[in-house]
This record gives sequence, structure tokens and C-alpha cells, in this order.
Amino acid sequence: MHHPSYLGVFLTFARNSLIRDMTFRANFLIEGISSVSWMIMNLGFYTLVYRFTPSIADWDKYEFFVFISTTMFVNSLVQAFFMPNAQELSELVRTGGLDFALLKPIDTQFLVSLQRVNWASLGNFFVALLLLAYAVPRIEGFELSPWHFLLYPLYIVLGVFILYSVMIALAATSIWLGRNQSLYDFWFYITNFSRYPMEIYEGTWGTPLRQLFTFVVPILVVINVPARIMAKPLVSDQVFLASFAMLATAISLLGSRWVFKQALLSYRSASS
Amino acid sequence: MVARALTWWTILKISLEERLVYRGDFALGTLMRFLPIVTQIFLWTAVFAASESGTIVGYSRNDIVAYYLLTMLARAFSSMPGLASGIARQVRDGEIKKFLIQPIDLISYLLLARIAHKLVYYLVAAGPFALVYYLCRSYFPGWPATDVFAAFLLSLVLSFMLGFFLEASMGMIAFWFLEVTSLLFVYMLFTFFFSGHMFPLDMLPDFWLTLVDYMPFKYLAYFPAAVFLGKIEGEALYQGLLIQTAWVVFFIVSCRLLMQAGFNRYSGFGG
Amino acid sequence: MIKAGAKARGQQSSKPCPSTFRPDLYPDAHWSAYNLLIMSAIKIRGLKKSYRVYRKKEGLLASITGLFQRDYREVDAVKGIDLDVEQGEFVAFLGPNGAGKTTTLKLLSGVISPTGGAASVLGHTPWLRENEYRRRFALVMGQKNQLWWDLPAQESFRLHQKIYRIDSSEFQRTRDELVDLLEVGQLLGQPVRELSLGERMKMELTAALLHSPDVLFLDEPTIGLDVIAQHNIQKFLKHYQAMRKITILLTSHYMKDVAALCRRVVIIAHGEIVYDGSLAGIVDRFSSHKVLTLHFAEERMPSDLARYGEVLEIVEPKAKLRVDRSSIAKVLSSVLANHAVEDVSVEDPPLEEVIADMFALTAKNQADKVAAESLTPSP
Repeated sequence: MHHPSYLGVFLTFARNSLIRDMTFRANFLIEGISSVSWMIMNLGFYTLVYRFTPSIADWDKYEFFVFISTTMFVNSLVQAFFMPNAQELSELVRTGGLDFALLKPIDTQFLVSLQRVNWASLGNFFVALLLLAYAVPRIEGFELSPWHFLLYPLYIVLGVFILYSVMIALAATSIWLGRNQSLYDFWFYITNFSRYPMEIYEGTWGTPLRQLFTFVVPILVVINVPARIMAKPLVSDQVFLASFAMLATAISLLGSRWVFKQALLSYRSASS
Repeated sequence: MVARALTWWTILKISLEERLVYRGDFALGTLMRFLPIVTQIFLWTAVFAASESGTIVGYSRNDIVAYYLLTMLARAFSSMPGLASGIARQVRDGEIKKFLIQPIDLISYLLLARIAHKLVYYLVAAGPFALVYYLCRSYFPGWPATDVFAAFLLSLVLSFMLGFFLEASMGMIAFWFLEVTSLLFVYMLFTFFFSGHMFPLDMLPDFWLTLVDYMPFKYLAYFPAAVFLGKIEGEALYQGLLIQTAWVVFFIVSCRLLMQAGFNRYSGFGG
Repeated sequence: MIKAGAKARGQQSSKPCPSTFRPDLYPDAHWSAYNLLIMSAIKIRGLKKSYRVYRKKEGLLASITGLFQRDYREVDAVKGIDLDVEQGEFVAFLGPNGAGKTTTLKLLSGVISPTGGAASVLGHTPWLRENEYRRRFALVMGQKNQLWWDLPAQESFRLHQKIYRIDSSEFQRTRDELVDLLEVGQLLGQPVRELSLGERMKMELTAALLHSPDVLFLDEPTIGLDVIAQHNIQKFLKHYQAMRKITILLTSHYMKDVAALCRRVVIIAHGEIVYDGSLAGIVDRFSSHKVLTLHFAEERMPSDLARYGEVLEIVEPKAKLRVDRSSIAKVLSSVLANHAVEDVSVEDPPLEEVIADMFALTAKNQADKVAAESLTPSP
């Protein structure tokens, strides 16, 4: 009785967002179409590239398509549930709407992270499913096992959590900076690193970069771990990275919560 | 005339000041802009490592990296973050009314604000740009001839104008559709793909190549970069500049027509 | 008129202006005595809030240097206030813009943390933000809305139900009751963005009261509304408060709101409480004049009226004089002795005028203080 029903609140958010999306139906449609066109462009680019090369860092065409569909799964989930809220946060700070969020008898981070659901972004989720179904059987020597069904979705969810942590920590900086127009850019550039197989980061500069984005800001594990689980043979040298991904998720979530709380503290002492 | 110039100067100054207040955004934005280039270098190194030949459609790996660096510069001129969405927001909030009431021309106002925005950006970004270009100097084939370089600079200025009037035209669509963010996203995707920001357009199969020739997007990034790298020479160069200018004129006119029609529609609805 | 105001200000400023009004020294002292008997809903002691603002400099060059180095200025929004409010009281906060009213409300609702001092609302310290506390109060701000803009209000209400964990039947009962009182039943299904300002405020009030709070903070609830909508909101608040006996703190610029709703008025200026008492008491305390209206019976009006007081208006055979409070009896008897007067009335100056004069006075004091500070070089 002393805690609000978080599930109930979330479902109401989702419901209200759907009602809102449905009042702007044309927009909803365009958004769905635009996600799909992005997907096609991305695929088009790599189809082009694979016209000139047999593989990229040991990922052949269909393995890479699995990698791309993994990217799409993760991104569509992040964009559906967290992106609109992170973008809204700087707006909430600017307009003073954050004050209302702070009054509610519910966790503030929960409230500002999930109050809007962008249903249209989930369109990409289903296209990714199609791409996965197209690419997986075409991978040479692929054998489906129950592990794929268990581990692949699990690591996609963990990846979403890591990206959410980075995003909410970034959004929280808008509380400090007053506003944050470049949040979206920043986000795009950061996740840009995660959208490639980690093997391409090789050499004098590449190796430290790979380590930085694996162990310090763990965005490389977001796509790479689930994509490898699906596209590459399940062998023991994946175990280390997979266990690390678990740890990284936990630390990211805790870290971002800390950043968020600090930002709120500064908001509380800095505004009038 | 003097009074008019003074008004515009004041608007320019205020916009500059407004931009400078948010220094946090600035520092972050400038730094982040160089990150994609890093991944592109790694990606293309991996591509060339696996491919048999040392060149793809006439580009070596170094050419490709130089190409990306140059499109970055071109996009620094032609990209207009927040322009169309800003217009859309003003229409939604009714803030646009002030341009119907005050003796200020909306497009000129936006252009000046944008120039201010860009000037400040270049002020902050010049250092990082110079540093990155210096560090990556080995990827470049060397300085082009003076006339090619002049054509390159001209194409950059034209790409700024094209970017501005094209996106401003997009923003005017908000007079007809309440929420245009998604439409703008599609536009963003199109420019990203067909401007040559994603890859050298020469890689496209013939059919697509012809299609791209009929669209304005390639003048936002591909064209200036290709000019610098000497991929477009002689007759083709003059022709290209001419077509780019034609697109600029086209969007100057369409942007103004859309604004007039939009204002008429807006005042028709009684705000 | 203007001259008279200036004169009054001159006299006022010659007196020492008390930094904090002590209710026990004034006729309305029963408020504090009452507090000993009845539990306070709100208790504030030495509450302080200061924050830093970026000092934006004029000019382009300064903006560029601002990129690298910033000047901050400490602003004291609330400078240590003491206040007690009993359960069931309806108290008005008055004060010029930037006086610290909204800051105080935000402090009491726990949105921001104070720099110093203590406060307790319903036994909770607001800035600890316990959920038990957050479930017992509500904040409504006239200039901001918390309802979903693109959705019908009823969807936002449902969200409130979930967040505040209101029991379904309870929720329905409260909502129907509020909707009936505010007469917005037909509007529940309309997107909020399509509602008028007055209708939107009614919806905001409904949302805020759904969880039946014991304390309600209202920040300019009638701002921008037309007279009828203002009146409706006032009527509702009066009725609801009388019915539920909840504690309400209201800030408003409209004296009509205050006069209609609040018996007790707290005036804040520059982060300090300068008055705490009844509305009528403001006039006694801050106006040193009364307005004397004389209806002469004589053929010709006396030409030397100025010796009795400042002449405000002459419309034969009537004259309005502004007379010092302390000499009103003397002036009156002397007028009656020297002239044939048909009718006499003695009135207090209009409340708005008194308050406007007082705000102007405190603003002037503040400006003087700032000017004095800026003369001394800052470290």
C-alpha cells in the first residue's frame, strides 16, 4: 500500500501514449515508415560494401545481417521506451515541468524515464525479426539450439539496459547545463561505435578504443554480445564477454542512477 | 536603409549571444562530431583488408577517409540542426504570430540567426577541425590546384545556402501538418543517404547513380568533397556548380512561396 | 494623487521598517495564541533559500568570454522566514514579483531544498520527500500544467489514480464530486489542448484534488483568467475548503481572490515576511491616512481646504481630503466648527492602493540597498 503499483503506472503510461499516438495517426505511420527506410538504407549500404569485399573483420554478409538486426532490436526498444523521455527531460527542466514530477509519490527516475512510449518505433522491431529470419538460415554451418532462444533475448534486454543507463546519465546532464540540444547528436555518435563488430577496432589506436568502449563505457558489448551468440558458433571464448556483459549492465544501471540523483540534488539546490 | 541594416545587425548579435550562453552544448557537440569519422576509418580499414584490390570505384582507403573528412566539412556548412523543427515548433506554439505582426521577415530572421549559429560554431570548431585535419593529413592526396580550390570554396558556400533554404522549406510544411517531426526524420535519412554522407556516391549501381543526379541532396556533401579530391573536373565541374546554383534559387523561391501560403492559411484559421 | 502617494512614501520610509513582522506585537496577535491550542499544519522556522544565477553580461565580447569564465551571483530568494499555519486555514501569500512566494511554495512541497532553516508540514519535513507526505498535499501552478496536453483530462486523472494508488471506487466518487462541483463533466473526453484556460485550470484543480490532499498549495491559480472564470474558481475553492477543512496556501495577484477567500494574509517582500494578519489590518498597519469626504451645505466651497489636509478631488459641493490618521478627530471637529457641512464620511484608502504603495516602498528600499552595495567594491 505504501508503494505505488509500478506496473500499473507503466501500463497507464503505455496506454496513454497509444491514445496520443492514435490521435496523430498520420504521424504514427510516417514514423513507422521512416524507421523502415532507415533500415533499408543501412542494409543498402552494407549490400553495397559487400559487393566489393567478401567479409568485414571476419563477419560475412549474412552474419553481418544478423548483427544489423540485433542493432535494430536494441535500438527499437530503446527508442520506443526511453528515447522520447530522455529528450523530454531537458524540456521538463526548461519549462519547470520537472517540479511536478518531483511532487509525485513515486520514484522520479521511473517517472521521467518511462512516461512516454513511442509505439511507432516498435515497427522496426518486427522488421528486424524478418531480417533475422532471412539471414540466420543463410549463415554457413548454423545450427539452432535452445540456447539461442534463451540467451539472445536476454542479452538484447541487457543491452537495452546499458544503453538506457548511458542515455539517462546523458539526459541528466541537461539538468546541469540548462538545456541539451546536442543530447540527440551525442547519443547518435556514442551508439555509432556500438553499431560495428568490435573486431574492426584493431591496431595502435583501435585496441585501446575497443577496451575503452568495452570496459569503461560498455557500449560495445550491447550489440556485439547478442549478435555473436546468434551469428557465431557458441564457443567457450564467448563466455568471458557474456559474463562481463552481465556485470557491466548492473554497474551501468547503478552508476546512471547515481548520476541522476546527483543531478536532481543540484536541481533542488540551484533553482528557486 | 541604415535603420534596416541596424535591425538585422541587432538580431544577428542577439542570436550570437544566445548561442554562446549555452556553452555546455557547444563543447559537447563539437567534440562528438568527430567520433563517426573514427569508426569509418576502422570500418574501411577492415573492408580494404578483406578485399582483393587496393581500390574501390577508384577510391583507395586513404581517399575514402579523406572523402569522409571532407563531407564532414561540407555538412558543417549544409546541415541545419533544429531549423525545420524550430519553425514547426513556432507554428505549433503560435509564436510564429510575431512575424505576422512585427515588421520582420521570417526567412531573413532565420537566415541571420543561422549565420550567427554557424559563425559561433566555426569559432569553436575551427580548432578541433584543424587538429583532426592535421592529424589525418596523410590521408589527403595533397592540396588541389587554385581554381579547383576556389570551386570547392564556392560549392561550400552554395551548400550552406542550399541546406538552409531546403530545410526552411521543409519547416514550412508545419503550416499544414501539426506535427512534422517524423517527416523531418525521413528528410534527415534521405539527406544522410543521398547526400553522400554515408559513402561515396560513386559506389552506387548505375540506376541509383542517375537517380541521385536528379536530386538536390548530393550537393550538400558529396559534391564539394568530390571537387576537392579531383573526382569532378573541367566541364563537369562548371556544370555541377551551375546545377547547384539552380537548386539554391529553386529553394529560395519555393521557401518563400510556402511561407506566403502558410501565412495565408494560418491567418485564415484565425491563429 | 501621485503627489500624495509620494508624500506618504516619504513619511513611511522615515520610520524604521521592521524586518520581520511580529504578530504578537500587533492587534492580530490572536493568530499566534491560537497556535498554542491547535496543532499547526505548517510550521516554518528561519527558512532560507539562496541560489546562484549566471550573470549574463551585455554585449557580444562579454558573451564570448562567458564561454570560458562565468560570473555567478548569489540571490537570496527567501531570507529566513517564520510562519505557522493551522489546520483548516486559508492563507494568502501576497508580494511583488520575485518576492519569494513561489520559492516558499516549492520549498514546502519539497521540490527544492532550502539553504537553511526548518519546516514541517503535517509533521513531515517536505524536502525529505517521503511518499507518505507526497500523498497528502498537492501543488497547482496557474502558469504550468501537469495534464497531458494531447490527451483528454480523464486519461491524466486515471494516471493520477495509479500514481497515488487511489482505490477505484474512491477515485470514481472523488472525481465525480469534483467534476460536478466544477461543472466540467462534458469536457472530460476532450483533449486538454482544446480547452479554454479556465476549463484547463478546473481540470488541473480536479487532478490535484483527486487524492484528497490535506494541504493544498495554489500558485496564482486565477492568472490570466477572465472575471467569470476567476469567480467560478473562487467559488469552488471557498466551498471545497469549507467542506473539507483542508489547509490552503494561496498566492495571487488578484486582491479579489484574497478578499473572497482568505481571512489571513501574509505579505512577503524580498524574501522576508513584512506582514501577517487580517486583510483589513493591512490598511491599519500600512496606511497612515484616511480619506475624508465632506459634503458642504454652503453656497460657496471654502477655498482654504488645503489647511485641513491634502485635497484629492473637488466636485462641488463635495470635496475629498487625505488626512493624517492621527489628526483625523482634530481635523473633523475643526471643519465642523468652521463650515456648514451636510454630510461627512471617513474611509480607509482602497486596499489595492495601500498594497501597491507598500510594494513600491519595499522595492525602493531594496533598490537603495543594492545601490549602496554596488558602491562598495566586491571582494
